Amino acid sequence: MSRLDRFFAVLLWVLGVLFVAGIVHVVAIFALPDLEPKDAFGRLSALAQPARLTVLPPPRPGAEVMPFADPAVAQGVCLFDLSQGAVRLQGKVERDRLLTLSFRTPAGEVFYSMTDRAAQHGRIDVLLLSPAQLEALETEADDEDEPPQELRLVAPSRRGIIFVTSLAALPSERPEAEERIKAISCDVEQTPQE
Amino acid sequence: MRSVLALLVKFFFVGVLGVVLGLVVTFLTIEQGGGFNAVAAGPWLAFPRNGTANIDPYARAMLAHSGELPMGASEGLAFVARGDSAGDAFDPDCDYKLTGAAPPARYWTLTLLSPSGFLIANKSLRHGFTSSEILRAADGGFTVAISREARPGNWLPIGDARKFILVLRLYDTEVSAVAVALDESKLPKLIRGACQ
Repeated sequence: MSRLDRFFAVLLWVLGVLFVAGIVHVVAIFALPDLEPKDAFGRLSALAQPARLTVLPPPRPGAEVMPFADPAVAQGVCLFDLSQGAVRLQGKVERDRLLTLSFRTPAGEVFYSMTDRAAQHGRIDVLLLSPAQLEALETEADDEDEPPQELRLVAPSRRGIIFVTSLAALPSERPEAEERIKAISCDVEQTPQE
Repeated sequence: MRSVLALLVKFFFVGVLGVVLGLVVTFLTIEQGGGFNAVAAGPWLAFPRNGTANIDPYARAMLAHSGELPMGASEGLAFVARGDSAGDAFDPDCDYKLTGAAPPARYWTLTLLSPSGFLIANKSLRHGFTSSEILRAADGGFTVAISREARPGNWLPIGDARKFILVLRLYDTEVSAVAVALDESKLPKLIRGACQ
């Protein structure tokens, strides 16, 4: 075997190692979110009741609910499960007071977000549905001419997380910021039984 | 027969080495943080796509690992600085000055955190400023002194941290839509002062 042959033989094995490493890397990156022992939904379940808006404790050193939390905001969380029915998030918003909403998968990824500026007549009204629930609702309301008043949002997953965030512009305004969150309710929609 | 066995052993080693190498590279990329969709403006980094359903698989894996829940795209955009405007990493034994103005947003907040995103205990119980409480100059600009020792004006204490980062969150901002073309001069500068 010449020196060149030997070189190519070794190169082939090295390429083999890199090929396997590449596949393992890509598979690991895609699998990692599912392999984490607890996703955001699981971690928040310890703090919040399902289908109810719970105000989270303010972040303090050593007692944060999650990393990279903003200490200047008050946050409420609603864990939803659409198998119990559609979920309605509604309530009054104060004029010119920052309130933001984010709708997330159980892993915490955002699928929709909005601010209080999307409120109509000073109210936020969002109906969160599964694709099947939306279809049922639309066939039911087929003969009505009135467009729906609420924002209908289709969730990509059965379970998920809604965050309601309100800014305390000054540290002393935290109670008001928490009141603004408590003004929003998160409930399972009672569907009329047929 | 022996040559077949030797070949099998070689295949086995290639497999094991490949798996180990792949996992090590994965671990390092996740620990490193970052992502593909970073928008840089001087020392500030933002990841506008992390707040959308359009998030890339690397960012997904990193966020799942760290437990961070990024702001939704309509909620706002967060910028992180791990060093000063000269490009050097923050040294907690030095004084820093954050000066300039924030990009247009309804509100912004500035927070000092550990590199893993946790608050740092300090005696004055201050972890940041909001746009409403900061003292401004006549032209609307502001200066924040970041140091271990107390400073007059807007003082952000470092506490006893051995490392720190700064997070500038813009709430309800139009910036995320145009973040690709973000100008460094639109964000505050970070200037290092005296070191102990």
